[in-house]
Order: sequence, then C-alpha cells, then structure tokens
Amino acid sequence: MKNLIPYFTLGYPDNNTLKDFLMAMPVNKINYIEFGFPSDDPRYDGPTIRITHRVGNQNFNDGFYKPIFQYFKSNGIKMYSLSYYSDIGPKFEDFISYLISRGFSGIIIPDLIIDYYSEAEEKISYLNNKNFEYIPFFSPSTPDHIIKKIAEMTSSWIYYGLQPSTGIDIPYEIDYTTERINQLLPGREITYGFGIKTEEDIKQLMKNGGSGVAIGSYIEKMLEKNDKKGFLDYINKIRGVLDDE
Amino acid sequence: MISAINSEIIPENWYNVIPDLPEPLPPPKDSKAEFSSINLLNKILPKEVLRQEFTFKRYEKIPDEVIEQYEQIGRPTPLIRAKNLEKYLDYGGKIFYKFEGATATGSHKINTAIAQAYYAKNEGVNGVTTETGAGQWGSATALAASLYKLPAQIFMVKVSFIQKPLRKIVMNLYNGNVVPSPSNLTEYGRKILSENPDHPGTLGIGISEAVEYALDHDYRYMVASVMNSALTHQSVIGLETKKQLELIGEHADVLIGCVGGGSNFGGFTFPFIPDHPDTEIIATTADEVPKFSKGDYKYDLMDSAGVLPEVRMYSLGADFVPPTIYAGGLRYHGASPSLSLLINKGRIKSDEVNQEEVKNAIRTFANTQGIIAAPESGHAIATMLNYVKAHKNEKKTIVVNVSGHGLLDLSIFQ
Ligand SMILES: Cc1ncc(COP(=O)(O)O)c(C=O)c1O
Repeated sequence: MKNLIPYFTLGYPDNNTLKDFLMAMPVNKINYIEFGFPSDDPRYDGPTIRITHRVGNQNFNDGFYKPIFQYFKSNGIKMYSLSYYSDIGPKFEDFISYLISRGFSGIIIPDLIIDYYSEAEEKISYLNNKNFEYIPFFSPSTPDHIIKKIAEMTSSWIYYGLQPSTGIDIPYEIDYTTERINQLLPGREITYGFGIKTEEDIKQLMKNGGSGVAIGSYIEKMLEKNDKKGFLDYINKIRGVLDDE
Repeated sequence: MISAINSEIIPENWYNVIPDLPEPLPPPKDSKAEFSSINLLNKILPKEVLRQEFTFKRYEKIPDEVIEQYEQIGRPTPLIRAKNLEKYLDYGGKIFYKFEGATATGSHKINTAIAQAYYAKNEGVNGVTTETGAGQWGSATALAASLYKLPAQIFMVKVSFIQKPLRKIVMNLYNGNVVPSPSNLTEYGRKILSENPDHPGTLGIGISEAVEYALDHDYRYMVASVMNSALTHQSVIGLETKKQLELIGEHADVLIGCVGGGSNFGGFTFPFIPDHPDTEIIATTADEVPKFSKGDYKYDLMDSAGVLPEVRMYSLGADFVPPTIYAGGLRYHGASPSLSLLINKGRIKSDEVNQEEVKNAIRTFANTQGIIAAPESGHAIATMLNYVKAHKNEKKTIVVNVSGHGLLDLSIFQ
C-alpha cells in the first residue's frame, strides 16, 4: 500500500478548527501524519504554509494537542514533526525528548543539511542513538553525494521535495527525478511532496517507484476556508489515486 | 574555422554544477510574507529557463538550433597560448587565454542570450525585455532576439545611456529598442520620473521596469547573470576550454576569471569542478566592490527593487552603491549562489585588484598579445599577472578567461 501523509501546521487556523478536521479524518485512509511546529522563520516554505506558521505560532498550546497526539498514536498512525533547526537547534535534545514523550516517531528538519550541514552528522547520530527516526529531506538542489551520504546514515523513509519551496509552481521533471532517486537510493522508501501539482503526477510518481505522497498546501487552504467536506473529499480522492497504483 | 572542428569543440550539453556542489545549495527564498517572488518567475521567465534554474541534471542538451547560432556568432572562441606575454614576463610556465571577446557582440553575454531568446521564441511570446548597465548585456539581448525575430525592449540605466551613446547604436543596429531608465514606458518608471525627472537610474530600477514590461506585454525577461540557468548556458566557455586543452595535451593548473554576477566565471570554471580537484581556481573582483572579502554570506535580494527572490550569496547589501568604477559589469553587489557556496567552502579562492593595476594589466596585455580586453576582463588579467609574479618558479599552466573586448570602453584611457 502506498502511503498518504497529510501535513498540518499546529495551531492553524485555530486550535478548535484544526482539532475538528483532525478528528474527522478517517485514520484508515492515512498512514503517517506530519505536524509542523510553528516556526519563527519557515524559510523553505511557500506563501500558503508560511502564513500558517505565523498564525500557528500564536495559537499553539501543547496541553490542547496532547490528547490528540495520544489519539493518533493509539490508532497506530506514526507521527512526524516538521521543525526548523533555526528554532529547535538551541534546545535540540529537550525538544526531541518532548517529541518522544508525545509519541512521535521521528522528525523532518528541512534546513538542517542546507544551513547547518556541519552539525548534521552529529545530530543524526544523536537521533539514531535515541531510536528516533531522522527523515532526510532532499530536494533538486541536494547534491548527489550528499543524498547518498545522509541516506546511508539513516534507515527511515525519505522525504523528497519536488519544488524549491512548498505550494509554488516551478516546472519539475518526474521521470528524471524518480530515475535519479531510484539510482541513488535503490530500495528506499521515498515520499514525494512539496508542491505536487496533479493527480496524474501522483500516479506517475507511484508508478515510478515512489512509496507515498505528502500533501500540505491544499489542506491548509481547506482549513482556512473551514471546508471540512472539501478536506475529507480530498483525502478520499488521493487515497483512491494511491490505491489505483 | 572548419565546421568539422567546430562541432568537435562546441559541446553537445551544457554543464550544471548543482549536483556536484560540496554542500546543498540553499534555495531561493521569498522575502515577502504573502507574495511569492519565486512564483513570479513563472510569469516572467521562459518555462524551459525556469526548469533549468532548478534542475539537478548535470547535463542539459543544447538544442541544435542554439548550437547553430553559437557557430554563427563565432563559437568556438579561441583558446590562445599567450607566448608573447610569457616571454615578456620571463615565465617558465604556460599562460593560455580563452577569448570571449571574439564573439559577435564582443563578450560572453551572447552565450546565454541566445539560449534564453530561443526558449522564449519557442513559447510564442511577443518579445523579450531586460535591463542593461554598461550595455554588454543589452547588446547581446538585442542580437539574440533579432536572430530569432523577436522584438527586444531594453531598459538602459540613464547615466550609461548618456555616457555610452555608441552602445545604443549597437543595440539599434541589432533592432533592439532602447530607452533610458527610468522611462515612461512603465508605471514604476513614471512614478520615479514624477518624483525626480533627472533620476540617473540604477540596475534595480531597470530590472523592475523590465519585469513590469514583461508582465504587461507577454514578453519574457532575460536574465543576465547570477541565476543558475545563465551560468549553465555559460558553461559552453569552460567545456570548450577543457576540450581545447585536451586536444593539445595540456592540463590546467590554475583558472582565473572575473566576477560581476558570476556568469562568465562560473561558465568558465565550473566544468572543471567534478574532475579537476587539484586545479586552483581564482575569482577576481574589483577592490571597490569587495563582495568576497567584505560582503556577508547571507540571504539577500538579487535586485535592489526586491522583485526577484532572495538568494544566499556573498553580498555587500542590495542597496550597496558602488563607486562609479569603469568596469560597469563588476559593480553588482552580490554573486551567484553556487559560486558563493564554492567560495565559502574554500574550493574557489578570491582576489581583488584596483583600477590602476587593471589599467596596467590591460596595457600589458594589449602590448604583448594585441587584444584590448574589456575593463571587467582586465581584472582577471591583473590577477593572472600577480599570480605569475608570486609563483615565478613554479611553471604552472594558467588559463585566464578574457570575457570581452574593450573596444567600446576606450574612454578610460583618454
Ligand atoms: C565583458 C564582461 N565581463 C564580465 C562581466 C561580469 O558579469 P558576469 O560576472 O556575469 O560574467 C560583464 C558584465 O557586464 C562583462 O560585460
């Protein structure tokens, strides 16, 4: 089965609306869930998700989400945090302990190997020792030798972003992308995300060996409009596309 | 030259350095919260250029039509051993120069102008537009557009427009429309003119005008330098050089070039990065624009108006006002992100030279080799002369890129 991984920025558009959406989401249709911890500088996110961080920053409240995290964990949905190193770096170990205490399985840190490459190795080893999954985040601008090196340090799934930032529309090349990734990372579980444009593209990515998709900007738009039905329809639709493969 | 030889030297593919960088290239970043300037690129660049901007592919096939035009404008350009200069310097090593001044427009700029105009033409747009300072880029844009029968609207910084009337004639001969910027062709230009009718103009204003013009007229915006796609197109310089060296059994120990935004430098040196780990690579800038020694390696705006995204690069600040040195092409406040990363990681070294050294270098080069180099290229030559002095007994093979000729910039010697 191909993985469907929805993304939510915690606290957006407000805690209650988000909770409402999350609890309505059919857990049997999704595989993992990705929670964005609101960042002061979500530098590698596009305009849609950037706004969610600004709003989320004001609303996020751990006590409110604790039972929700508990709910997903007890339903067997693995949770991953998306956090920027520029925010968590100074209190890295505390933050990881916190995520573990809330039942998270791993973390995605989009700026770690871009802006803090010299610290990456040490942090990944730390996470490995804690048995906490470090999800490598790669994009078209990640050099080949770094994709290989970072992937070899980890055994989890890998997040490959098709765009330079989320929710924007730069031409990408699916066949070349998957060829490159399959060649560099044979046999690895690869989730594609960051601005996938159409269902056709999802099909193509899965046909070419992708193991799942992460979706974010579209969901945030549904949240903004408080369109729960649109959101649920979308989840069902993408699930259908993935199941076709 | 015989075309059979041309086709052996002109490469079939351009080279893109991104997948071979020592660390991931920080991506462009939007500077405004609710507006994506990255996304704006979708509307102003040809799709193919945009794709190449963000591709991880090491090699991009050069379209046959582009190769055909490369031959027409004088590619491959010569790689010449500067024996007279070697003798003059009493140097035991070898000095070669790649001469981009031999192209039709007299500089390397035409290499990417042809590619961008070709992709714009293929998309059936109405025309192309750009800004130009000293006029090298405007000339290349005008010719490239003319080759593909596209109208070209060029916004030339008003001071240069007044100071360099010959450049305007060149662009007109290539069927380019040139206006001094700020102009009344755009809302932005009109606004500035209404505040100050005698505004001298800046590259930042020129860029904003060209982008606005592109959006309003279904034109495409031509990128002179800094962005990765332009450096990829310029790789034709380095790929030819590699081939030419190979044909005569030589190995480059040292590569030297000048940096404005980084396009001739990146194009010349990057193709050596993957398989010449021991080759020393030196980027020269003007003393007056000390981006690599005094600039910060940080996210900054590519243009002073903030129309284009921010990129991580060495920068003196987007509002840096350089002294009016004669090498107009080196006055840019930043440098291409890939080049900046390679300098930051120590793979590429940098050097700075002052105007007097540059003038002397141009003189020496003219006296010995007969070539009157562009003031920008004079910086690379000056660094090369200093290098020879400092490594007199090492017998290295030095290759310098002479990015353009200076026949339209002679006033500096008056
Ligand atoms: C002859 C010549 N060399 C070099 C440059 C600097 O630009 P770049 O660093 O993009 O090659 C210019 C720019 O106008 C130029 O005209």
